[in-house]
Amino acid sequence: MTRKRTFAALAIALLPALLFLAGGLAAAAETVPQPIAYSHKIHVTDYKMNCRFCHSSTNKSQYANLPSVEKCMMCHRTIATDKPEVKKIASYWNEKKPIPWNKVIDLPNHVYFPHKKMVNAGIPCLTCHPGMDRAGTAVQNLEFGMGFCMDCHRKKKVSIDCWTCHY
Amino acid sequence: MLDRRQFLKLGGATAFATLFGGCDKVQRRLIPFVIPPENYTLGEALWYASGCDQCPAGCGIVVRVSEGRAKKIEGNPLHPVNRGKLCARGQAALQALYHPERFSRPMKRSGPRGSGAYAPVSWEEALSLLMEPLKKIKAEAPSSLLMLTGPMRGHAGLVAGRFMKSFGSPNRVAWDPFGPDAMLSANAAAYGVRDLPEHDLANARYLLSFSGDFLETGISPVHYAREYGRMRGDRETIRGKFVHFGPRLSMTAAAADLFLPCAPGTEGFVALGIAHVMVRDRLTAASSAAGRLADDLGAWSPEEVEKKTGVHAHDIAAAAEEFARNQPGLAIAGTTAATCADGAFHCSAVALLNVLAGNVGKPGGLSFPNRAQAFAKYGPEAGLLSPSPESGYAGTRAALEKMRGGAFRIAFLSGATNPAFTLPPSLKFGEALSKVPFVVAFASFLDETTSLADLVLPVPTALETWGDDLAPVGHAGAITLRQPVVEPFHDTRSMPDILIAAAKELGGEPAKALPWGSFRECIEKAYGGPGGEMEKALQRGGFLGEASSPRSAVRTGGVSLPKAADRPLEGDPKAFPLALHLYPSIALYDGRGANLPWLQEMPDPVSTAVWRNWIEINPKTAAGLGLAEGDGVTVTSPSGKITAHVAFNPGIAPDVAAMPLGQGHTKYGKYANGRGENPISLLPAGETYALQATRVALVKTKLSTALARTGHPEGQWKVKNMM
Repeated sequence: MTRKRTFAALAIALLPALLFLAGGLAAAAETVPQPIAYSHKIHVTDYKMNCRFCHSSTNKSQYANLPSVEKCMMCHRTIATDKPEVKKIASYWNEKKPIPWNKVIDLPNHVYFPHKKMVNAGIPCLTCHPGMDRAGTAVQNLEFGMGFCMDCHRKKKVSIDCWTCHY
Repeated sequence: MLDRRQFLKLGGATAFATLFGGCDKVQRRLIPFVIPPENYTLGEALWYASGCDQCPAGCGIVVRVSEGRAKKIEGNPLHPVNRGKLCARGQAALQALYHPERFSRPMKRSGPRGSGAYAPVSWEEALSLLMEPLKKIKAEAPSSLLMLTGPMRGHAGLVAGRFMKSFGSPNRVAWDPFGPDAMLSANAAAYGVRDLPEHDLANARYLLSFSGDFLETGISPVHYAREYGRMRGDRETIRGKFVHFGPRLSMTAAAADLFLPCAPGTEGFVALGIAHVMVRDRLTAASSAAGRLADDLGAWSPEEVEKKTGVHAHDIAAAAEEFARNQPGLAIAGTTAATCADGAFHCSAVALLNVLAGNVGKPGGLSFPNRAQAFAKYGPEAGLLSPSPESGYAGTRAALEKMRGGAFRIAFLSGATNPAFTLPPSLKFGEALSKVPFVVAFASFLDETTSLADLVLPVPTALETWGDDLAPVGHAGAITLRQPVVEPFHDTRSMPDILIAAAKELGGEPAKALPWGSFRECIEKAYGGPGGEMEKALQRGGFLGEASSPRSAVRTGGVSLPKAADRPLEGDPKAFPLALHLYPSIALYDGRGANLPWLQEMPDPVSTAVWRNWIEINPKTAAGLGLAEGDGVTVTSPSGKITAHVAFNPGIAPDVAAMPLGQGHTKYGKYANGRGENPISLLPAGETYALQATRVALVKTKLSTALARTGHPEGQWKVKNMM
């Protein structure tokens, strides 16, 4: 077999891997379409709202919940009621239907990640969600690989046992 | 045809699609609540305390609620009745909550009565349909309103009682197939107290049970199972002995040290035989009673009793001696003894043993807590909070007679006891109800009784409603509080809520008698309201302080020998050779659990059968009839005929056939219907509600169904060795 042929065979063999990698990078940067063009920037940066006003279970639960329609309407019964996106929320409220948000950040099932542990340890939200305060709808600007978590755990001198996160 | 080149192209394309087709990310949705449940935290469960309503035992429960959904029910560890334990029926209440066949809105009959054809209507329309005739009869003939419910305890009973009284109708009847009527009569005769006693099993040294299947059904199975466990294993040097007399080897009988089979409906005679020996051999503590009864008991020598009951004379004598010498001890009568034609006699005969042994009012014996004390502040109305005093078969029969005579123009039906299913067919409940022009059912499910209603008002399940309860035994003065553990799933309103709203619309006396805005307000006013004592009590499951309630004074001095009514089983022994023994099912109870799949698929502890009806007979009897395990048989009594599958039970007397109650529904939904036939249809209509009342004959029949069992008798006992 000539060198040329070997190189071609290798390229063909590695093509799926390269494509897979490219797809992964593309996925990290893409914005996920949402039913409401919610703006994190307006709420967090402009109006200085605390993340936990809407994501209220971050200090109490494994999950960072999304706010109920009722919570949106607590303010938007009277604020910005003329805005088209707020009208959309109001129509969900009037029909008593939940807003079908699309999931943006999705950790694999083999990881146990409790938000409450990080939040109660004083880790700011933007450590893992950089740029969220200036974003429109939710974005994921970081890839949550195992290294990302391990670096932080080592720095903070907290457990790096396998079964802390994998059980 | 594919050539080789095309095949390879296609194959390559498929491989590529397989490799890269999976790379597309499937978009997952996040659906938050529109209005979140109270105290909701995503992913975190809350436990709410409440009360169980699956049987009359009145256990306390805690319910795990997550994302606004009840996920699991357990016993409340703080509750004196069940101390953290819960039976299968209580656990299965979850399935009642999520049941697909629940009434989700009011229904108006759209076909003939009993057809089960209903059209949904709004609550406004339903209430106007209810109020129009109600107002009319309030003005014209208030006593033509009938309220037929299950036994109601706590403030639900108070609301119902006040409503009927202020409306001007005395016709409030409660039906419970296993109601304690016979026991109450017996206790009134033997102890002078018309109440249910507390049996202190934990401190007893000896237990005589007469068909008392207290580990399975009975008055409070979870409570007594725990007490029984303490009796057997809590003390260092004493392990209480347990002797069981009964017609079949039930789960409770199987737990006994000694099981002595007796014919159905003869338990009281065995007790008299034991009393005879105790008096004859001077083994009694109550010498005055013994002296007075000596002559009367003379006729009940063990030899005589053996002829009547089938229990050997030496076993009776031995049991009497052991019982008398191992005090404190207890003699208890069970459901099946109480549901004989003369149940009061059997219960009285058993009570006599407690009197003779001097077991009344001391540790390890029985005592009568003052039940009324828990509700003493209600004064003359305290009785309304205890189970309906009118409960029972006699009241129900009288109401049926009045129905036939056209005395009622409106009937309110409510409760799980389903009289159309649990009363003997010869009473013709449906026919009597057809004489009532307007029938309203307060129900969660369509069943044989509800299907006869003109209007169905959907009620919430116990997990969605407010309420309170005082358990019949083991409560130690505790009042259980019920609270909704989840938001109601459907557009339902509880019966007390509907009655309160109806009273408000009627005005006058009813509005004054029921002055609350809702049943919740009634409960809150009764128990101190939110922010007060009630808040803490709700978190604990009720007012569970171990109140050392005063005991009712017991008079045993004037005890007399109960008179045995000679009521033989119906049917000629030649034509109907087997005595039929009907018993409440551990899973389905009186049939109310039949629409819950968890209970249907729970193997019976003795036969291991699931999802179907069976008849237990002795393998020897089966051999004589040419029957094999699982065969179909036609069971014929003088009053009716049904089919069932044969299940061998070597622990049953050869001349007895036993069937559990609960199956045989026709209008109780897809899980309950068509699973065998109702054994109650074999019973005659007598003066009392007698489940042990008839003889039957068996004939082999080919059935299209099979009996599913989770175990095989060959694997549990060697049938061949018993033949």
